Amino acid sequence: MTLAAPGSIPWLLAHEMRLYWRNFRAGRAGKGARGLVSLVVVAAMLLAGGVLAALGLRDVQVPINPISISLAALASAVTFTLMLSQTLSASSEALYERGDLDLLFSSPIGPAKVLFVRSLGVAGGVITIFLILVTPLLLPSVIWGHPGWIGVFGVLGALALASTAVGLLLAMALFALIGPRRTRTVAQVMAALVGAAFFLVSQTRTILGAQQSNSLFAEITRQAQEGRLHPAPVMSLPLRAMLGEPLPLLALLAGSAALFALAALTLGRRFSDAAAATQGKTAARPARGETRRAFAAGPFLATLRKELLLIGRDAALLSQVLLRVLYLIPTALLLSRNAAQGTGAALAGGAGVVAFLAGQVAGSLAWITLSAEEAPDLLAVSPARIRTLRRAKIAAALVPVALFLVLPIAVLTWFAPAAGAWTALGATLAAWSSGLINIWHQRPGKRSEFKRRGGASWMATVAEMLVSALLAGATGIAVAGFWPWALIPLGLAGAALLSLRRSDAQIARNLRTR
Amino acid sequence: MTEALIVRGLDKTFTRPAVMDLDLTVHAGELYALLGPNGAGKTTTLRMVAGLTRPDKGAISIFGIDALADPAAAKAITAWAPDEAMVYDRLTPLEYLEFVAGLWNVEPKAAKARAEDLLGKLGLAAEARTRCEGFSRGMKQKVALAGALIHDPRLLILDEPLTGLDAAAARLVKDMLQERVDAGGTVILTTHILEVAERMADRIGIIAGGRLLAEGTLDALRGQAGEGRGSSSLEDVFLQLTANGAGGDAA
Repeated sequence: MTLAAPGSIPWLLAHEMRLYWRNFRAGRAGKGARGLVSLVVVAAMLLAGGVLAALGLRDVQVPINPISISLAALASAVTFTLMLSQTLSASSEALYERGDLDLLFSSPIGPAKVLFVRSLGVAGGVITIFLILVTPLLLPSVIWGHPGWIGVFGVLGALALASTAVGLLLAMALFALIGPRRTRTVAQVMAALVGAAFFLVSQTRTILGAQQSNSLFAEITRQAQEGRLHPAPVMSLPLRAMLGEPLPLLALLAGSAALFALAALTLGRRFSDAAAATQGKTAARPARGETRRAFAAGPFLATLRKELLLIGRDAALLSQVLLRVLYLIPTALLLSRNAAQGTGAALAGGAGVVAFLAGQVAGSLAWITLSAEEAPDLLAVSPARIRTLRRAKIAAALVPVALFLVLPIAVLTWFAPAAGAWTALGATLAAWSSGLINIWHQRPGKRSEFKRRGGASWMATVAEMLVSALLAGATGIAVAGFWPWALIPLGLAGAALLSLRRSDAQIARNLRTR
Repeated sequence: MTEALIVRGLDKTFTRPAVMDLDLTVHAGELYALLGPNGAGKTTTLRMVAGLTRPDKGAISIFGIDALADPAAAKAITAWAPDEAMVYDRLTPLEYLEFVAGLWNVEPKAAKARAEDLLGKLGLAAEARTRCEGFSRGMKQKVALAGALIHDPRLLILDEPLTGLDAAAARLVKDMLQERVDAGGTVILTTHILEVAERMADRIGIIAGGRLLAEGTLDALRGQAGEGRGSSSLEDVFLQLTANGAGGDAA
């Protein structure tokens, strides 16, 4: 802090980094040795994958031809959209999270400088995530035989800067177009759509009615083999940069940096005005439709209604759910088509995917309804039974899951009643199991801190995925017609649930010790 | 005289002793002010009475109900409003009151009428259908107070109820509390605004270091502090008593 002049960009950046680091450490606090072990295991697995890849690719020279150029450009575009999804969300949140913005804007430091540093923070945040994933996979290859591939890190940096610039521009454009009240919600939904964009594009043939899904990779390869692929020269820049060619790498970095600087520096004043305009704006939003209806009767209905209202008003949560629903659409369409045509294996796989997603979405919602309670003391001082409140919260988490599953399962049941029944049963079991796991392994916190699932119990997240996967397997096997074999994953899921079960006393003790 | 609250031998230790062998009696229909310096154990005491924190030792009786043996019955006739308002930012005051009324199982029609009445009295009628997220601290406090009153509790426990309220809102709340006491309700409150306790409270308890140092009417407290009857303010009495008796070892 003292190395840079107070008020300068490096000084502000050091301040941001210190806060980021302390938040990260606070987030890690309490995870203890188990959290560290899980990190080490994941890092070791990635590194092992990286070493294997390095050994396999040691003598491989990547050719610069239409296929590799197209694939590198495609990979860059996918990475860009994934980054943009995060930077758009982070940029819109930066307008609303008061934090120290009021302090900074009330100081003599110019708003452009403040935005520049905040934007660097957004870019830094997004690139950190990608570096954590890519470094152990790529570094062994860089060390053993392909030093030029270090250019991949440069390309990631360029993409992070460019996606931050576009994220900022989009957030500010939304702010100007639809005002402060709706920007946060729309930006979160847009972020989800952008994040799923390539998946949806890659599945257009499925959605539009082609016989089967066809990956973009296969399509590019086919077009190249048929001599129909002629990428423009500028499209070779990402590949050449990734391979370490200095000029393309510098061109990408310079272009991205210029775009970033332009966005961050020119939007400074607008950003501070917009941030100031968000103060209290959300309060002016009247809730519609509750004026004349009667009050809910009793703790169950009152809690159910309250949780459904809160879910419906949580933009970040809705975008996460929307993302999963988007991933479900092609699967559901494929499932229905296969059911109509009696394609057994694909039908079984699709049914499994539906059950798995039901478990995951229910888990996300149950985690919010159970753990993200803003007024735990209010519930604690009320005479309502804790079991009643829990049941209401689980029901609130399951209602949206039921709503988005009802159509695909109804269509499936129309064409293949047995498959529809198995899928409905599997999805219900998976969703219910996720709810139970979230009851047993609650990790209370403020709703505002629950933007990412990272705040959830490590145990709950992993267990939920495992049980959902087992139940998805059971569903798929049953739909394929081998239902006695489905008892094996079903039994394993049951055993996992039994081992995860906690009594009311244990739950209460666990909550008290937090 | 009916006792609204009887606390006997209450002990609570976190990393340090917070409350030690505390005895407290609040009569039905009185406004009792629990005063003490920061960290004296006031909030811990009230949290134990409200059923939020389990004491290590001792007994709590609310209108004759053993609050430790039958917490649900005790909670059904009690309300607790802490200094940090327990409201949901994304609910409107009316939706919040609907939820709280549901928790206390208030009949829906009566609850709705009462909610609208309370919001009107607290000057929140215009904001009844506006989400709480942009409300000032004072507005949130008023919403929380309405929540505490929605089930018409026999015992109302308020921790620093006037924090964050402007002069008009503070006056409104004080008037509402006085009306409640005049109508036979019982109110226990903590406050750092000694003038409020001096003017409103029927009896005052002074706590420091987790122990009750003195209890009674203002005149009785003057006597215990060695001050002349009617000659000194509550502030003088408070400072005298806490200077003499504070152990300084409370959480």
